Amino acid sequence: MASSRENTADQTSLWGLAPYPVIMADRSGTVLAVNDAAGVLLKGAASGVSMADVAPAWLAEAHRDVCVGTVPATRTDGDRTAPASVSGRIAANSFEAHPSLAPDGSVVWWLVDDTDRRLAEEALATERERTRFLSEASNVLLASLNTGRCMAATAQLAAEYLADVAVVVAPATGGKLPLARAVDGKAAERALLGADPSDLPGLAEALQGFPPVPSRWIDPAALPAWALPQDFTETIGSVVVTPLPGHGVPAGALILLRRSGSAQFSENEEVFARLFAARAGAALSAARLYSEQSAITQTLMRDLLPPTLQRLDGVEIAGGYRPAGAAEQVGGDFYDVHPGIAATDASLVVLGDVCGKGLEAAVLTGKIRNTLQALLPMADDHERMLRLLNGALLNSYHTRFATLVLASVQRAGNEVRLRLTSAGHPHPLVIRADGTVEHVPTRGSLIGVLPTIEARTVETVLRPGDTCLLHTDGFTEARGGPLGDEMFGDERLRQALSECADMPAEAVVDRIQMLASQWVRNGPHDDMALIAISAPHTHHLSAVNGHTRGRYTA
Amino acid sequence: MTPIPPPFTVTVECGRSSACFHLAGDLDYNVGDTVVQQARRHLVDHPGLHDLRLDCAELTFCDSVGVSSLLMIHRHAGAHSVRLHLDNRPPFLQRLLDITGLQQLFTHPHIAQQAE
Repeated sequence: MASSRENTADQTSLWGLAPYPVIMADRSGTVLAVNDAAGVLLKGAASGVSMADVAPAWLAEAHRDVCVGTVPATRTDGDRTAPASVSGRIAANSFEAHPSLAPDGSVVWWLVDDTDRRLAEEALATERERTRFLSEASNVLLASLNTGRCMAATAQLAAEYLADVAVVVAPATGGKLPLARAVDGKAAERALLGADPSDLPGLAEALQGFPPVPSRWIDPAALPAWALPQDFTETIGSVVVTPLPGHGVPAGALILLRRSGSAQFSENEEVFARLFAARAGAALSAARLYSEQSAITQTLMRDLLPPTLQRLDGVEIAGGYRPAGAAEQVGGDFYDVHPGIAATDASLVVLGDVCGKGLEAAVLTGKIRNTLQALLPMADDHERMLRLLNGALLNSYHTRFATLVLASVQRAGNEVRLRLTSAGHPHPLVIRADGTVEHVPTRGSLIGVLPTIEARTVETVLRPGDTCLLHTDGFTEARGGPLGDEMFGDERLRQALSECADMPAEAVVDRIQMLASQWVRNGPHDDMALIAISAPHTHHLSAVNGHTRGRYTA
Repeated sequence: MTPIPPPFTVTVECGRSSACFHLAGDLDYNVGDTVVQQARRHLVDHPGLHDLRLDCAELTFCDSVGVSSLLMIHRHAGAHSVRLHLDNRPPFLQRLLDITGLQQLFTHPHIAQQAE
């Protein structure tokens, strides 16, 4: 027993050097030994005092449990098993206490300070939560290209993770501020208010893209009433205003509010709010750009969609247009029919193809259609019209061109006189009533690139049952067929047309469009436009002798 | 199922006063700009050039953007006082130039006579 005591004393001096607090107590809870570190940590701890008096409650209780043996042995020290460790706070720090059972039943508690690890774990958990939030935010924000919905989503996300109340303010439009306000992550309300952003310190600056104002500089009392959701009556304790940076221009500002009971915004939280704001701003400005672009496209579309055609002076004119992409209703092909100014004047039919696709092609198309409309008074001279159009389109920075065909249509009794001029465009085709298909040999240069152009007008006459077809190369170049890569080609088009003899114009258009659709099936294709002009199917009134110009049914 | 066409390629053969671009594949919307840029760079990098030949023997298709690219190359070549030749035109290209009235633009009868 004496040697055991000496051993204990040696061990005690050894513990004195240990960097961790060590405290030993017997089964009755009386402290047997304490090393220096434990003496510093646990005030009044010394041999002979009670564990309950010097150790924190969680440790004293754990000691009782270990002595009673209610703690299951889960820790293994070599070949001995030891009771499970416990943890708790001592003063400002957090400790893990690992018990070891001595042979005489007393317990040695080894205390390890794990404050730093805990802080690191908490920081890690916070960062993980934030990363998860940011990626969720990106998913939610990028899911909508609608500006209003994007603002509402931003406010709702911010009110769920960053603050109690979040308000998204977009730059003023027409003197009004578009807002989205959300409370506690609930769905945001949207409003358009005649409010002055300079009511809230930092807001006007944030809307101009200046750096955020630290929250401690903003007095919650200065918060204007419009910044709060309508039925929100609680007091606000802290305010943060952060700009939402867009693509080069500010997309708006984010106001974060916390109730007076909640913690103030820490610097770290403000930095995080800026990270969120960067994503929200990018999504908002993408939505704004998109809505601007789609508004432009719609405006253009209204003006550029091909007109609906009808009978002109008894002449049947039918048109069909199939744009390359379902999404682009406006493409590079176009047609127009301009009735003659006086009843006896010829009508002008225009069908053309602008090189390229999309918005650029649509803009050039608009230009050509407008110019030609302005040039209508000289529609009797196609070459002059084309020369003037060419001059109007020439420029030095691109070689985008158009090919088109002009057709002056004039009814003469039951015949239709046509004057056709191609400007770099595929030849017009005439289907005679007997099924022969003729090329109309007009030719000319494309429009918009060359300083001087040539064009030759050719005249032809349509008799009842004849049809003239103007088309764009989208038909002949459409790839498809049994193997999928064969072009529809001129020969197939001629073949198809010869079967359309004596058909009304509309039926010819439908037939060719149907064949083209079947040919390309779902494959990609260029714009396809066509116009058919048919002489009226009339019967010579038998009351007239049949030799004079006479009268006809319309 | 649409078969994927072979990719468009440009192989450049460069002499002292002339260069030849061998074009193969479909000259269309997707590649037009690239060819123009390549030709423009070549014209800038080789100030001594007199003739630029576009060998079209292996060209399989040319759409309106392709024609626009040829016109742009023609314009750049003109600005550098370089003659542009379209060699070995396949029938479809010949027809396309015929319809669009560009036949004359890419042939240089006077220059050809002078060269002889």
